[in-house]
Amino acid sequence: MYGWQKQFYNKGCIVKRLRFDYFMKIEYSEPVSLCHFTIKCFPKNTLRQKAEGVSVALSPAVPYSIGADAFGNRQIYGRDDIVHHTFSFRITGSVRTGNLLWEEEADEDLTSVFRYPHGLNRAGEKLRAYHHEMADKFPEDVYEKGLFLMHELYRDFNYEKGVTEMHTTAEEAFCLGKGVCQDYAHILIALLQMEGIPARYVTGMLIGEGASHAWVEVLYQGRWYGLDPTNDSAVTDAHIKIGVGRDASDCLINRGIMHGGGTQKQTIEVIVGEEGLC
Amino acid sequence: MQQLELLQHTDTINELLARYGVKFGIYKNQEFKEQLFPFDAIPRVIACEEFGFLERGLKQRVMALNLFLKDIYGKKQIVKDGIVPEDFIFASGGYMAECEKALPPKGIYSHVSGIDLVKGKDGTWYVLEDNLRVPSGASYPMIAREFCRRSSPDTFHHNHLEDNRNYAALLRHTMDYVNTGGHTVILTPGRYNAAYFEHSYLAEKTGAHLVSGSELMVEDDKLYYVTVDGRRERVGAVYRRISDEYLDPMNFNPESLIGIPHIYDVFRKGNVALLNAPGNGVADDKGIYYFVPKMIRYYLDEEPILANAPTYLPFYEKDMQYVLENFDRLVLKDVAEAGGYGVVFGRSMSKEQKDAFIALLQREPRRFIAQEIIDFQDLDILEEGSVIPRKADLRAFVLMAEEPVVWKSGLTRFSRNPDSFIVNSSQGGGFKDTWVLSH
Repeated sequence: MYGWQKQFYNKGCIVKRLRFDYFMKIEYSEPVSLCHFTIKCFPKNTLRQKAEGVSVALSPAVPYSIGADAFGNRQIYGRDDIVHHTFSFRITGSVRTGNLLWEEEADEDLTSVFRYPHGLNRAGEKLRAYHHEMADKFPEDVYEKGLFLMHELYRDFNYEKGVTEMHTTAEEAFCLGKGVCQDYAHILIALLQMEGIPARYVTGMLIGEGASHAWVEVLYQGRWYGLDPTNDSAVTDAHIKIGVGRDASDCLINRGIMHGGGTQKQTIEVIVGEEGLC
Repeated sequence: MQQLELLQHTDTINELLARYGVKFGIYKNQEFKEQLFPFDAIPRVIACEEFGFLERGLKQRVMALNLFLKDIYGKKQIVKDGIVPEDFIFASGGYMAECEKALPPKGIYSHVSGIDLVKGKDGTWYVLEDNLRVPSGASYPMIAREFCRRSSPDTFHHNHLEDNRNYAALLRHTMDYVNTGGHTVILTPGRYNAAYFEHSYLAEKTGAHLVSGSELMVEDDKLYYVTVDGRRERVGAVYRRISDEYLDPMNFNPESLIGIPHIYDVFRKGNVALLNAPGNGVADDKGIYYFVPKMIRYYLDEEPILANAPTYLPFYEKDMQYVLENFDRLVLKDVAEAGGYGVVFGRSMSKEQKDAFIALLQREPRRFIAQEIIDFQDLDILEEGSVIPRKADLRAFVLMAEEPVVWKSGLTRFSRNPDSFIVNSSQGGGFKDTWVLSH
């Protein structure tokens, strides 16, 4: 992403209209008498994307509250005291997306917090050594540095499902040498933070993926720029951004606690396609 | 001063305290043990003018700390203006990003503050620590005074001191002031908490409901108390005696079984007051302590009335150099620890310990503060019939409503170990009544 490309992207014309369908279902072996849920699955309105006609369906159909968390992520939450064996939700809508390289102007009161390691993006010895080894090759410019680190990570880390889990830290994933989008994002955040650059975790969706996606935003000249290390690219018009946070735990798409339930099986189906084509 | 008569009742008062369950629970080797909190009948006496000075200083300090919290979870002007380095905010364990931009009712963060002070041999008072995360301890001098009055009414007839029985009214006023509509409750983690006696005692004295997490529920962005017959009654203020982390499993530690799911979302909507507000740890961190006098100048444009113990931050190169040169004279504190833990004295380390510690200090300079050891005044205590001197501190309580009010009493704790400077009750000390003379 250099020179002319940056110029081109920065025009930010809306080029795509994406339709999304996010469905999540948990089936329990025993009945659940009470559960509490928080769902953060609403595409954010930024300069790069605009959401329209978003609708929510919960099952069982219980009332819910609408709010926002500390990072400005929209959320719905509530309690479900109808005895149930299955809990599910479906969020659908469309999003107009563009190829602007940056998402939005940064809220200056909420930038420094992203300079400090937290939770899952903490680095350890191995990751620090990796960072140290390439330190003399870093470009000066912060955005170029972000791209450089992303390329390096893309080359040295392998995509593989099932080797890491929700609570795997950047260091643990890096030591394994493989993982999924969440791990790529945590490692890139850790690397950027070692450079003193604010970086944050992004949840979202991507055309063609059957699950949710995650990437990184880096603070550059007062704006947040999206970098997708799993695909070694800047954020494009194929990306739908949902939430931001320090790490994956801050922007879990669904969080819940329940009484009863026994063992549970979770199914997630995500469909994102160009409107008219899907 | 007419005290002797009271002293004859020491044993009776301690028996009464034991019978009323005035205990301090501690966890040692993963086992919960309750121990009595020994009471010494010789009161700490503070003259009227002297307390007036403390009062002015404490109000000023608590005002500044509240403004700091509001600033940190909002505009962060004090960081932008370079008064507090951002490392001391965002790398502090007490800072909670989850609390960003959630303004508590009436803008108050620290409703009940416990400020720990000591009096030096030269008569100067020093603040040792600010406690803004629901500090405990007010109930002990309250009940001790009650028993003292009962055992020896004459003592209180002959000595003119401030009545400390107004604490419950002050606390009630503070709770009512921020209440957003509905009941006021005191939320306890339960019977096996170190300060359970205090929770139940304060509930009784303030007339607030004593509740556990399972008796509260959230619905439709409001908090309810569920009565025994299943009715739901609105709650507008929660004096919660459980830590931030365990308050709400949907917003903080998901493992918490004692919290109330979504209570923090209700708070964020402005529909309930939480006393004290979550996130206060960023202001009573041992690292931020150094900056409190600067905060007072910054927010209030006043000179600090109360002194801090002379403190050095190894984070600053100049201070690091001083610490290394004067290591044996200083006490070093780990900013992440509390309750008298993580405190080491330079002079009592062996050569190896010292080398290891200095290496750690140089690796993690932000983790420690260093302080001059204050030679603070001993107070007399009675032990087996004789009067002996022991180190003691004072926890003063400041309640914040329309303006800060200092309770004219306090918790005086003393170390029972003659060589120890650590007077924390978690480490087995005793306590005294604190008399503030009325003229």
